[in-house]
Amino acid sequence: MNVSRRVFLGDGAAFSALCALAGGCASQNVSQKGTAAAGGGAASALENADGTATDSVMARRLYLDICGRIPTVEESLLYVKSSDPAKREHLVDRLLDSPGFADYWSMRYCDILRVKSEFPINLWPNAVYVYHRRIREFIAGDERWDAFAAALLGAQGSNFRVPEANFLRASAKRTPEGLSEVASLTFLGKATEEFADFFRRVSYKGTREWKEEIVWVEPGDGPSPSDFARLLSGRLEERFARAPVERVLHWMFGERAEGSARPAEDALVKTFRDSGYRLKPLVREVVLSAAYARGSVTGGFPRRRLDAEVLDDAICDITGATRDYQSIAPEPFTFLPPDRRSILIEDGSISNAFLLLFGRPARDSGELSERDNRVTPKQRLYLFNSGSLYSRLGRVVSRPNFQRMKTAEATNYLYRLFLGRSATKEEHKVVASSKIRMRDLAWCLVNTREFLYRC
Amino acid sequence: MKPAKSVIEIWLWGGPCQLETFDPKPAAGVDYNNGLKAIPTAAKGMEIHEWLPKLAECADLFSVIRSMTHPHFGHETATYLMQTGRNPGGGTTYPAIGAMISMMKAKEYGGDLPPFVILTQGKGRFSEVGFLGEKWAPLVTGGNPVGQDFVVDGIVPPGGLTQKQISERFDVLESLEAPSGQDDFAAAGAAARKVMSGNAAKTFALSLEPESVRRRYGRTRIGQSCLAARRLVEYGVPYITINVPGWDSHKRHFETMKRATADMDQAVSALLEDLKAKNLLDGTVVWVSGEFGRTPRIQREAPWNGGRNHWCKCFSALIAGGGFRGGCVVGRSNDTTDAVAERPVSPVDFLGSICEVCGIDPDGPLPNPRGLKLNVMPEAPASGRLREIYA
Repeated sequence: MNVSRRVFLGDGAAFSALCALAGGCASQNVSQKGTAAAGGGAASALENADGTATDSVMARRLYLDICGRIPTVEESLLYVKSSDPAKREHLVDRLLDSPGFADYWSMRYCDILRVKSEFPINLWPNAVYVYHRRIREFIAGDERWDAFAAALLGAQGSNFRVPEANFLRASAKRTPEGLSEVASLTFLGKATEEFADFFRRVSYKGTREWKEEIVWVEPGDGPSPSDFARLLSGRLEERFARAPVERVLHWMFGERAEGSARPAEDALVKTFRDSGYRLKPLVREVVLSAAYARGSVTGGFPRRRLDAEVLDDAICDITGATRDYQSIAPEPFTFLPPDRRSILIEDGSISNAFLLLFGRPARDSGELSERDNRVTPKQRLYLFNSGSLYSRLGRVVSRPNFQRMKTAEATNYLYRLFLGRSATKEEHKVVASSKIRMRDLAWCLVNTREFLYRC
Repeated sequence: MKPAKSVIEIWLWGGPCQLETFDPKPAAGVDYNNGLKAIPTAAKGMEIHEWLPKLAECADLFSVIRSMTHPHFGHETATYLMQTGRNPGGGTTYPAIGAMISMMKAKEYGGDLPPFVILTQGKGRFSEVGFLGEKWAPLVTGGNPVGQDFVVDGIVPPGGLTQKQISERFDVLESLEAPSGQDDFAAAGAAARKVMSGNAAKTFALSLEPESVRRRYGRTRIGQSCLAARRLVEYGVPYITINVPGWDSHKRHFETMKRATADMDQAVSALLEDLKAKNLLDGTVVWVSGEFGRTPRIQREAPWNGGRNHWCKCFSALIAGGGFRGGCVVGRSNDTTDAVAERPVSPVDFLGSICEVCGIDPDGPLPNPRGLKLNVMPEAPASGRLREIYA
């Protein structure tokens, strides 16, 4: 099925047709069995009575975690409406095979591989693009992580022509100790200088081409980076197989916390190893686990604030707005097409005020803690008070078909757009009795926890 | 000496030429000065470039350093050194001076606006906040201060909404939200609403200034940014950076500089005089510089056709107020500004001096979330801080 931008930007007619498909959701709450709590009944829309996530929440979760975007109105309705008992598995498989998975997970891997052109990593632009493309290929093709590790550690040659050679360049500290730190952080999950001896012969030299650099290993007797790669499938294998599992759990479940749902780590390590160190089977098992199906209200599933890039894309998808990306660093200046999604920005040096505000990582160290998904007063002030955001919300409600909708239908339309579900009875009541303008209802929805977080 | 309360940094991004600003060399010949002249100033013995007549009139308010020097000729590395006092490399990204000073003065400030404000765009070459983390990141205003209203997205509410509408929609939001106890979302929301209910937004309301004042600063980006900076100082913000692009004059150097210096001359002279008149200058450091200067000998050959390249061996800075005496010249360049002749000043000494007049010990510890054992500034080279112009 094509992911249609049309449905986001959609006209009311398409929406009404979809509502008919979903069994007249304009007046009916969608399959929430839980009791309505205070606060407009939002809790019952998030969690079933048995503490598991509702269908609409599950659909939003899967799109966000696998593809880094919120589902369209159409996609979430299809999921909620489907009576297929294996619908979760089917959606997971479809999403894992979609380009969206490679797009989003490349962003994450570029975070940990420190893909940025400028200070302090200084990969330089051409190298960033070839390296990013190679990383995306690795994700899309679900290649073996051990083979990729060997390629990254063993590559020699030009940063422009041998993408993998950039691994040994992507360090703010190009010393044997610094390279030991990035290699151990990347492959073993913890930075340490203890492998410095493997990197003593790594050397760099420039060429006559601007910003080109050759990575090479000087001849000699000592151990080489490739010898370190061999240790990864030898005496370091246990840590090598565990580190990606810990990383995936960190990305999806955050820090381990008491009482919070989390799949068992050891079983995942086994799956990862048995699959040939491939990412997709690992992610698949995580999102199909029982822990992943828990609700976030009482079920212990940890909420996670949307990544800066994902939030930016979500707002743009919903409002049909475009971004204005240009960057005077690095040189040569970069101008991106206005409809370029933020998760697709290859270069960590290209940013904007929004991404910085919402904690996009600097890609200086490759540490997972560089991405800051906490909510700050500055962020909430922006969402409360930004004129540019408010005018974008105005675009949603000024669509001609939207303006023809009655209050209940319009309310549902906005709930579906922003939160991937229809409004509960209580929410309809609050909206109707307050006589709030629809643009301000859109403002309210942008400012809810439910929108800002993956619940 | 009472510590300065605020700092205004005017960053001439790209590398302003020392010759066409604070270190003119009328005797160096046309290959260096293009036949342009120096003019006397209100400070005895100080001459500056003829393109800065308004600053010349108030030269008793500021001092000039003509012997800034460091070894980095690339924008990124030089900016990093001039901003952090650290040499690039070594695996750690240090915070800029603005993030350090504002963090250390945040407690005594206690206002609703963040303690570090950047007008109007970030530097973009590195993260200003370094390892201090998002908490100490600057508020980057965006927007255009030249217009009638300076709309700072997120601080100044969108036009057309009444207070009543704003509070009504908060009521609806509250009834729609499931209560979820105290978490960072709720705490951040409460803090944000406190900013909205106070007078922080008014700080940016340049339309409250008389038209004559706005004209005095110049209806330019740098001019109106300086005016906004003065209002932020009145509010109490400890560190304000104004990033002024347009000084990387490889080509069309003289056309570029003539225009840029005219705007800067008007804006900075207005700022200094206004701060003085409002009795704020003694409590406010104002500094003007860039990451380096420019090649003294004019590059007349193609493709530069009368441009100047980067020059880090010798360049100039202006410093005023907040415990620095005015009317002085620190250091001396040689006949052409090729090199420092006397009293070199390194970035670490320059920044260390600013910390010192702000009551922050540059050799004292820098608190940081990573628990790194660091001083505010690394050990300074022998050149020494600017004690000769401390008031």
